[in-house]
Amino acid sequence: MSEAEVTPTQVPTPAPAPTPAPAPTLHLSSGPHIASGRSTAQIMWMVNLSLLPALLWAWAVFGWAVLAITLSSILGCVLAEYAVCRIAKSPSTILDGSAVCSGLLLAYTLPPGIPVWMPFIGGMLALVFTKGIFGGLGYNIFNVALVGRAMMMATFPVEMTTRWLTPALGKADAVSAATFLGQIKLGGQEALAKLLAAVPDGGQLWFDFFLGMRAGSIGEVSVLMILLGAAFLLWKGIIKLYIPLSILVGVALMAPFSPAPMIYMLGGGIWLGAFFMATDYVTSPTQPRGQIVFGLGIGLLTGIIRNWGGYPEGICYAIMLMNILTPALNDWFRPKRLTADGAPS
Amino acid sequence: MSLFSWGKSALPTFSRGGIHPDEHKELTENLPIEDFVPTNVSLPVSQSLGPSAEPLVVKAAKVKRGDIIATVPGGGVSLHAPVSGIIKSVQSGPHASLVYDTIITIQAKPAEDDPQFPEQAGWQALPIAQMLERIRDAGVVGLGGAAFPTYRKLTLPKDAKVDTLVINGSECEPYLTCDYRVMLEESEKVVLGSWLISKIIGVRNCVIGVEDNKQPAAEKMRQTIAELGLEKMDPPVKMTVVVTQTRYPQGSEKQLVQSLTGRLVPKGGLPMNVGIVVQNVATAIACLDAIRNNKPVIERVLTVSGLGIKTPKNLRVPIGTSVEDILAHCGGYNGDVVKILLGGPMMGRTIADLDVAVTKGTSGLLFLTAAETSITHYQPCISCGECIDACPMGLEPNRVSQYMEVGRPLETERYGVKECFECGCCSWSCPSHRPLVQFMQVAKAAYRRHERKSK
Repeated sequence: MSEAEVTPTQVPTPAPAPTPAPAPTLHLSSGPHIASGRSTAQIMWMVNLSLLPALLWAWAVFGWAVLAITLSSILGCVLAEYAVCRIAKSPSTILDGSAVCSGLLLAYTLPPGIPVWMPFIGGMLALVFTKGIFGGLGYNIFNVALVGRAMMMATFPVEMTTRWLTPALGKADAVSAATFLGQIKLGGQEALAKLLAAVPDGGQLWFDFFLGMRAGSIGEVSVLMILLGAAFLLWKGIIKLYIPLSILVGVALMAPFSPAPMIYMLGGGIWLGAFFMATDYVTSPTQPRGQIVFGLGIGLLTGIIRNWGGYPEGICYAIMLMNILTPALNDWFRPKRLTADGAPS
Repeated sequence: MSLFSWGKSALPTFSRGGIHPDEHKELTENLPIEDFVPTNVSLPVSQSLGPSAEPLVVKAAKVKRGDIIATVPGGGVSLHAPVSGIIKSVQSGPHASLVYDTIITIQAKPAEDDPQFPEQAGWQALPIAQMLERIRDAGVVGLGGAAFPTYRKLTLPKDAKVDTLVINGSECEPYLTCDYRVMLEESEKVVLGSWLISKIIGVRNCVIGVEDNKQPAAEKMRQTIAELGLEKMDPPVKMTVVVTQTRYPQGSEKQLVQSLTGRLVPKGGLPMNVGIVVQNVATAIACLDAIRNNKPVIERVLTVSGLGIKTPKNLRVPIGTSVEDILAHCGGYNGDVVKILLGGPMMGRTIADLDVAVTKGTSGLLFLTAAETSITHYQPCISCGECIDACPMGLEPNRVSQYMEVGRPLETERYGVKECFECGCCSWSCPSHRPLVQFMQVAKAAYRRHERKSK
């Protein structure tokens, strides 16, 4: 269905024509012949741009290492994408920004103290096994970055759960730490009481979490920076609020079962997941009602895993589980037709 | 204004989907309609939907302006000589949509006694049946682009309950300004034609829909309606002009009916099923010409535009004027033309041959440069849902395209293939530049083949 190229037949003009203009090469195609001007690559690069505030914050509080980790993850993804394209003998798609996006997002889910070569391996694995073998952009079933994180959890369990750093603005050497959610998971109420006692001014704790002064994964710690990026995507019309809001509602419904609801709501990767992972076009439903069910499902599953499961954090597996349901959600919740009853055929 | 409509236009529009492409109407909207008559006209005998006409003339025959030169055996829409002259040839030639067709070429030889189609006495009081006959004999078809035979649309089944005539002055396609100019310059004919159609289908209520970006036309139409005093005519008709949002495809029948009356046409149905008949403004004039002046459709107004033509114009040309002649008349190419279209940029057809001629349904002739058109390769669907949001019918072009890509065209009906009228909002919106309309067309063709085989 590519465009045919033809040259219009020149009709001989009777009078001696003053140097006829060269006949243009005309393209034949089905309509429409104009377009909105938006492209997939443009969207992906805008998403990448919107992720930068969170990276800048991580660099500020965790130091240069996070940039190396992020670069390593991006390199892993982009090189794997290039290799997959070469093997599949299809044009390279590394410039469309989607592999870079996967790399960025994978890095954002990693502890800032992880050895720098691990994200490279993780990125390659994620790209090849989540996207490459399924056929590339548009065909993956699961969120690429999250599968990467899950595979790294299985491959490097110690590094993935212990290499946390205490955030410190402007300090050269970061100190290792543990995440709040992790400690509560291990120590329960006792650990929580100890943590709260250690905070100099208990009233400021929520603000530290909101701003990003807490131990956690590279891109998840600052809710503020995530919201800045999300606001940009909302303004550009790239994401809508159905999925993120219903995730937050779903998580909030499970908050009362947590020993520390405030830490539970602001801690971990809920905000990164809600605005940047679950909104991935390819692996989320297209219709508002489907998106709401999708989001609520993620929120509730996150709460279940955190409260009663074996992990301190649940958003990664919650999103992956709901990714499985996406095709079904698209079938169950379909657009209303412009007819009296609105029923689809 | 409620909280939910804050920031949105309060003007009426259809309830879902639609897009607002760059209008580009500024190229021609302030240019009055000019006449242009070429030395030769070439008329494809297929001018409207339905069976093709057959030529009634042979080479070297003399014809007068308005003579029937081709007709559909057994009665149908005829084709008339747009100019007096000599038949130069009757042979196969290029046609915009059929690729090839029988073409009647006339060499124009204007004479003193050429018919001028004066006003006929007593035209207002003609019996309805005779009015319909005149519309049929004059070869009137929908001039908005669809070219459906008008007499068939106006001949209502006995049990039809129609209460409103909708006159379509939306002209929602970018670039096109011919209907706008017609409403400005010939508002009286539009109003009288609309009154006649109201009389024929027996309604007392007529709504003229004009988009927000054509306010001067709406104002002019309102003025003319007031001046003509339609309430005092026999029969009296209440005619109103409603300004709608500028939103493509406002000019599509089902969308316009909803915008103006709030009624929803049932699936697979026609506006008639909800008591409405829709006619385009230019068609209203053609009906008036047919009944009042006994004048057949031998010319039409079209917009010649695009950045690829030296002097864009709104032209009135005889049917059969070739693209080549119009191109020369408008100063030739301007820059790197990559597409030539008959119609608007959303639903128009590309042509490959400058011999292709204007037919009754040609509303525009666009010369598009690389900068203003989109020629790209397409990519996989990323399920962003933009096409579903843009679809004014609520269909799922993304799903259709995915089934088409794996060669399963006969499973696409569920996603709305048969309800698609190919407005192009989906393809326009797609960030992966997928030819969604084309997938729809191919799927429809597969269903047609399948249904023929299973008969």
